[in-house]
Amino acid sequence: MSKPVTTNFSILDIIKERKSSFKNLAGPLLGMFILVFLISIATPFFMSSANLLNVGRQAATNIILAAGMTLVIFTGGIDLSVGSVMALAASVAVVLITHFGINVWLGVLICILVGAACGLINGLVITKGRVPDFIATLGMMSLARGLALLVTEGMAVPSFAIAVREMPEEIIALGAGHLLGIPAPFFISLVVILITWFVSQNTRTGRYFFAVGGNKEAARVSGINVEKTKLTAYILSGLFAGVAGIVLAGRLNSANAHMGVGAELNAIASVVMGGANLFGGEGALGGTLIGGITIAILNNGLNLMAVSAFWQEVAMGIVVVAVVVFDQWRRHRFSEKK
Amino acid sequence: MNEPLLKLTNTSKMYPGVQALKDVDFDLNHGEVHFLLGENGAGKSTLMKILSGSVTKDSGKIFLNGNEIDIESPQDSVKKGIAMVYQELSLFPNLSVAENIHAGMLPIKSYSKLVNWTEINSRTKAIMNEIGLDVSPNTLVADLGIGARQLVEIGKAMSRKAKVLLLDEPTSALSTHEIEKLYLIISELLKKGIGIIYVSHKLSEIPRIAHRVTVLRDGHKISTLQAEQVSEAELIRMMVGREVNEKYPKEKVQIGKTLLKVSGLNLGNRVKNAEFEVKEGEIVGIFGLMGSGRTSLARSLFGLENKASGKISLNGHSLQIKNTGDAIKEGLGYITEERKMGLVLRMSIAYNITFPILKKILRFGMIDHKAERKIALNFVDKLHIITPHIQRLVESLSGGNQQKVALARWMCCGSKVLIMDEPTRGIDVGAKVSVYKLLGQMAKEGAGIILISSELLEILGLSDRVLVMSKGELVAAFTREEANPDTIMAYAAGALAFEGSI
Repeated sequence: MSKPVTTNFSILDIIKERKSSFKNLAGPLLGMFILVFLISIATPFFMSSANLLNVGRQAATNIILAAGMTLVIFTGGIDLSVGSVMALAASVAVVLITHFGINVWLGVLICILVGAACGLINGLVITKGRVPDFIATLGMMSLARGLALLVTEGMAVPSFAIAVREMPEEIIALGAGHLLGIPAPFFISLVVILITWFVSQNTRTGRYFFAVGGNKEAARVSGINVEKTKLTAYILSGLFAGVAGIVLAGRLNSANAHMGVGAELNAIASVVMGGANLFGGEGALGGTLIGGITIAILNNGLNLMAVSAFWQEVAMGIVVVAVVVFDQWRRHRFSEKK
Repeated sequence: MNEPLLKLTNTSKMYPGVQALKDVDFDLNHGEVHFLLGENGAGKSTLMKILSGSVTKDSGKIFLNGNEIDIESPQDSVKKGIAMVYQELSLFPNLSVAENIHAGMLPIKSYSKLVNWTEINSRTKAIMNEIGLDVSPNTLVADLGIGARQLVEIGKAMSRKAKVLLLDEPTSALSTHEIEKLYLIISELLKKGIGIIYVSHKLSEIPRIAHRVTVLRDGHKISTLQAEQVSEAELIRMMVGREVNEKYPKEKVQIGKTLLKVSGLNLGNRVKNAEFEVKEGEIVGIFGLMGSGRTSLARSLFGLENKASGKISLNGHSLQIKNTGDAIKEGLGYITEERKMGLVLRMSIAYNITFPILKKILRFGMIDHKAERKIALNFVDKLHIITPHIQRLVESLSGGNQQKVALARWMCCGSKVLIMDEPTRGIDVGAKVSVYKLLGQMAKEGAGIILISSELLEILGLSDRVLVMSKGELVAAFTREEANPDTIMAYAAGALAFEGSI
């Protein structure tokens, strides 16, 4: 039996308490380092600073999507619609800006709001309509993609036959610019991760995300409004999909309805590779960041090694599952020792 | 047949922090009902679980017909002829009687490997004859009453050619008529040489069906006696072990004005027109058997059942009972029947304590972690929750300490009325006494407590007033002085009609 705690506590206690949360990042970090090691042996160019910055740029949209996905997964849900919502939000915004000539920043705001609105609908369907998360967001995945096709008439925008102006510099800067030598999109994704981490650790809603995912019934007994909590998570996920959309449009110098096909799977993979529990209640934004970077490193490395795109998909599937199997095995051992 | 059917020697089982069984010897003869008696946590369920293979013993030996056996898993136990009839029924309500009886061992045709329905139906009919169940084999279990379901459970055991039957509180949810029928079937089974281990809280069943009685207490075997030789008083003394006052510390508390007033509380047919009051410093015990609606009553009060209707007022304010948040704000607290339903086990002690008060410790909209630590540490200290640090996950604590975390939560948000549903289930004696003491302390500080329990001695030992619940209704009320076990049991079992007002 261990001794009871006393009311006098020191910084040492806090370190002891926090140690376990760092321990959970050990698996994902190790996975990432092994991958970096293998790839840098295979292709030395990988470690060049130009390439590493490129990895950051490529990782950005996925990390932004994965941040929102992490919150949803904390609550025990899943959001399959993020890729489509990203495409819809970007399409709406870019059409408004380049075809109707609205103010750029108003366009950016609308992009984010369209994302948030899709998230709100997801959340309402799930909580009020009592539709399983998987089904509701699967529906939104198809619906948003369809709307994006309608808005863009199936073309890349700006489509120069009808556009009144080109893609504005400001948006291109968001996707392709630099800030303090770091690619702007990567910078934005770090900010997003930082904000979500802060929200998850320091706000009531953040605490509730974990509680609802950990045990819905117990959360309700503790006086937590479960529906409102889930709704918030889905709104945030949609909102971040909007942010990702404008960043991606800037990087591609255009928007189209086929942006981000399959992006939801990469986002989910990043969250799970980061050590979060798909059943909810456990995980950390730091893990998601590592997961997102790992996936980008993998894609980048395979590209450098000139592996065919078809094989890249195969490799991607194997690595994601392998990392999670390893993580499960590690946790299982750890919990048995305890 | 001098060799007993089943014999356990020196059986022990340790759970983290609790010695559930210690060197217990037990035997069961052919054609015998062996009654197993003890309070919650005495080790009855552990013994049953060892025999049914859902936990493994730490040490000791098990003999079946004189041969030593190992029981490795529930399947293994069934294969060896030991069948458990679960208290919380383990049937598939969406499947038919025939499918349930043969669940996991549906006969198949030898060539096509398809399910052999003719065989199932004929076998099921034979078994149903044996257990006196008179419905079509294709009836869905969902359409059966609780008594008939119990019979299907027994039928399931019979289809597995069980020699030893473990019955866990088989009569707790049955009507008098159904109980008589069950006794009849039991006597038929005994004639075939089947041995039955019978767990029940109802002492009155002993003279009716038991041959021998074994009393367990705190994991130890106290005694095994011939059923006709013992009196109820003697058995109670053996179960409780120490003086009842010492086991159930009851503080002298000044009872004040009315805190909670409930009237016309309804929830489908699970709670019917419940009406009662709780005063400051008062512990109101609600006794009911399984399925009596006691948990539904608690959940309705706390706003967890959105179909519930009725009037609840606390301190004169009337309460919106569709909303848990409001219930908490007004000063209600609820400790759930199962701890995992009330605590987020994979979150820390501190977080579990502070859920309802996060709003009060915000600084600039953010959680004040320092204040949170302070509050959590304070309660961990005050309630003697044993843990190395407050960020430990609740799941790593023993049952008693988990219950203290749940108590701490409601103490720290200053609950005026605390609803406790089976607060001492599955925790050891020492922890029970400290939970009781905390209850007393809260009452002394002016809180009103609703103590829901199926443990009659607990209710009698702690309550200022006892309400009895049966089939969704509060059927009787007693003051502490009037309350006596036999009458309460009779009301709870539905044997006595509704009398007077509450």
